[in-house]
Amino acid sequence: MPLLKGTLDVLVLKTLSWGPMHGVEITTWLESRSGGRIDVTDAALLQALHRLEERHLLAAEWGVTENGRRARYYRLTAAGRARLRAESSELIDHVKTLTAILTARSAEA
Amino acid sequence: MTRDRETHGIRAGVRRLFKLPLFTRAAARADADAELDAFLAERVERMVRAGLSPADARAEARRRLGSPESDARRALRRSAERRERRHWTHQSADDLRDDLRFAIRRFAKHPAFTATAVLTLALGIGANTAIFSVVHRLLLAPLDYPNGDRMVMPMQENDRFRGDSRFERRPVGGSVIEAWQQRARTVEAIAAASESMFSLDSDGTVDTLTSAVITANFLPMLGVKPIVGRGFTAQDVAPNGPPNVALISAALWRHGYGGRADIVGRSVSLDGRPLTIIGVTPAGLNIPLSGKTAPDMWVPGDVRAASSGGSGSLDMGPVVFALLRPGVPVDAASREFQEIAASIPHTAEFGGRLRLMRAQDFVDARAARAVHVLFAAVDALLLIACATVANLLLARAWTRRREFAIRGALGAGRRRLARHVLTESLSLAVAGGVLGIGIAWLALRIIVALRPPALDRLAGAHLDNTVLLWTVGVSVLTGLLFGSAPAAFAGLHPVGDVLRRETRGGSAGAASHRVRSALVVLQIAASLTLLVASGLLVRSFAALQRMPLGFEPRGLAYADILISGTRERRLAIRDEVVRRLQSLRGVRGVSIGVMPGKGWGGDGIETETDRLGHTGSVPVLGTVMVSPNYFRVTGIALVAGRLPDSSPPPMRPGSWSPEVLVNQELARRLWPEGRAVGSLVRPTAFPGQPPAGWSTVVGVVNDTRMPGESGDVAALQVYTLYPYAGEVPLVIRTGISADLATPGIKRAIMAVDPHIFIRPILSGDTYLRDGLAPTRFAMALLTAFAIVALGLAALGVAGVIAYAVSQRTREIGIRLALGAEPRSVVTRIVARGLRLIALGIVSGTVAAFATSRALASMLYGVGAADPLTFAAIGVLVGVIALLAAYAPARRALRIDPAETLRAE
Repeated sequence: MPLLKGTLDVLVLKTLSWGPMHGVEITTWLESRSGGRIDVTDAALLQALHRLEERHLLAAEWGVTENGRRARYYRLTAAGRARLRAESSELIDHVKTLTAILTARSAEA
Repeated sequence: MTRDRETHGIRAGVRRLFKLPLFTRAAARADADAELDAFLAERVERMVRAGLSPADARAEARRRLGSPESDARRALRRSAERRERRHWTHQSADDLRDDLRFAIRRFAKHPAFTATAVLTLALGIGANTAIFSVVHRLLLAPLDYPNGDRMVMPMQENDRFRGDSRFERRPVGGSVIEAWQQRARTVEAIAAASESMFSLDSDGTVDTLTSAVITANFLPMLGVKPIVGRGFTAQDVAPNGPPNVALISAALWRHGYGGRADIVGRSVSLDGRPLTIIGVTPAGLNIPLSGKTAPDMWVPGDVRAASSGGSGSLDMGPVVFALLRPGVPVDAASREFQEIAASIPHTAEFGGRLRLMRAQDFVDARAARAVHVLFAAVDALLLIACATVANLLLARAWTRRREFAIRGALGAGRRRLARHVLTESLSLAVAGGVLGIGIAWLALRIIVALRPPALDRLAGAHLDNTVLLWTVGVSVLTGLLFGSAPAAFAGLHPVGDVLRRETRGGSAGAASHRVRSALVVLQIAASLTLLVASGLLVRSFAALQRMPLGFEPRGLAYADILISGTRERRLAIRDEVVRRLQSLRGVRGVSIGVMPGKGWGGDGIETETDRLGHTGSVPVLGTVMVSPNYFRVTGIALVAGRLPDSSPPPMRPGSWSPEVLVNQELARRLWPEGRAVGSLVRPTAFPGQPPAGWSTVVGVVNDTRMPGESGDVAALQVYTLYPYAGEVPLVIRTGISADLATPGIKRAIMAVDPHIFIRPILSGDTYLRDGLAPTRFAMALLTAFAIVALGLAALGVAGVIAYAVSQRTREIGIRLALGAEPRSVVTRIVARGLRLIALGIVSGTVAAFATSRALASMLYGVGAADPLTFAAIGVLVGVIALLAAYAPARRALRIDPAETLRAE
């Protein structure tokens, strides 16, 4: 399932609300949560991380993974947390409205 | 997670030193690469663990990337670069905002400190700005015309009279100008203007006016257009004949013609010749640098007519301007002009050196020197102000060491702390600069009001963009200068020491104290230097006022009048004017001649060959043309021989009168053995001219000097009797103040003929005052600066002593508690200051000794190393500094021993 425009950022923020993760962890988490239905390329994810970090929604630091490899770890900043709250409630409203409209039984159905 | 973001090539310390955000561009890219590589490796490893073969895992990882690896890498590098750039700007802006907010909060909490620092800086920066605008106006700025920076005046300079504004240089006239006009390649055009007198007859009334003959290109060169009608064209210049057209000034148009609109085309009669008015020039238009009143009328002439000086006026002759081609340096044009002049016969005989001068080169040498000295003085003052504020900041840094130590312990780096202190310093400097502009504005008004006549161009000085730019630069530089020492010490206090205990012996404290002491020594030394300079000027001024001038200026009035008409009519009117003036109440004598000290230069003199075959000669000297009673009226004493007969001498063209007098200096020069009286002399003839007739030296008179002129050697002068007609200089001796007599003199002259043109009457008192003005100007300003400097130095001493007292509160308390004599405690503290004061006075004396030589040419009657001045100023500085040290030392006596011990 291709992702709706603009939703990747909020999904990444949501993912990181569980704690600091590096890139592979983030994409694995998203995959497992969506039951493999969300299709995000790794290149797009890494760029999204840079973009969010640029806006101070994420902070990053190099660290070492459980496999003993170097990885860039990302964590949510206070601003990122606030943004996540605002955007997710907006998105949920949006989806609810869409659902209500699209699931309404039409007169002829 | 370990921090290893600083492993990319540049060492952490180096990166911190250069204040790189996180990364350079290259480092940001490397970081992006590393991230991608790590990401892919992690992916592959996870898939291998899940059971894929390494080759399949790598292929799958590449597939999941979604785009070719190289594209993904490029995109990631770009986003990483952008991220770092943004972060860096944000970071600096945030830091700056924090620092500023913090600084302002602190300043608000310490109003006394802030006011002292800002006011000190404002004084320093304000004085500097005011004097810079003077320097800018006088020594740097070109003429105020569109082409002003390219306009130069060819002048001939005479080294023999260097420093003597009367003879030092004169304008070039004659055929050489035509040669330049035809042959010079470095200039676009040559224009000339000269003033002359005309009697104007319009609508039945006759008036004597100043007018100027100008070349047709004169106004275009200035970039000036008539406000009514048109300017001159080449066709308006009548070759070898009188002009037919004229431009009139806005003033004449308004007052003479009521500003009527149909002025163009009207006919006026000028000296009996009809002229057609073709236009009106803008209000106030004058010949640049002429120093005379603006002409009422302009008539066209060719360059020869315009540069030959119509009436032979007594002050400045014709004015010749050359417009340099864009980009041509003045020196190159000067060389070309010299070569052309040298190729023309009879031009090199003037005895001068040709120089193309810009407007800023015309500043009177003495006045320019005064301005240079003042500029050096305000720089010294600014330095003292910097030292004062640096001292205040260092003292405060000591009381803030706890704050700095804590901030350091909480992770603020030394660089961050230093930046914080520098931000404080710079904001103080900017506040000082803003207030300084106000002070500069005020100071400039005062300076302009005090300006000596030689610096009249100062009237146009104002705080323009260049000056304000200077102020901004000076303020920032000042902030960096006085902020650097406190910034360097900002992070030096080891946190443990400070938090544990009041540390006194800490190395940072000792170093800071040494710097503060050095600053105080610098302040004392610099203010002593300024005071010595002002003291020397004060003594010179007093000596100049007492200087024997060789004549009695008080009660003299000098009137230069112009009479028109035939020679007979002019002579008749001249004699009538003299008669009327003599019968005026309060007038004791009227003679013809210029104010003593003024006069012509240029003639050479030679003596007859004596029995031994020797001929004496002097190439250039001053020729003073007078009536026989001139010496009695002016009070120039006869030293040997007799005064000339009072019969009017017959004219002898090209020669002096049969009887002449010489001044003592010339007599000494030509007849060292003292046989001047009875000798025969004549003016040196120009090459190609027949020799002049001989004159007999009948007397030797006292040397005269211009007031304020401090040259050691008096000018060489010969006095010849001259039957003035037309332009007649009158020197009048009055029994009352000449200023009071002036209106009566004017009325008496006008009563003879209302059309006589009278130039502004110069009283002897004004002459004296104007002559002394450059010295007084420099003296007044320098003294003001020196006093401010002394005040700041006293503040510095008081600050250091107060600091020493606060440092040793406990020790003093214990001493007092143990029964120490309070006086001995004070003495001990003052003694500490005494060392600094002594050091400051000694080094200041050395500095003053070195710098006062630069003043030598401005001094009169006092040596640059005048022991009295040095001693008096040394004592003054010592006393003031000791008083400044004593006041805070006394505070030590109020220390309550019980309290200090409890504080333990």
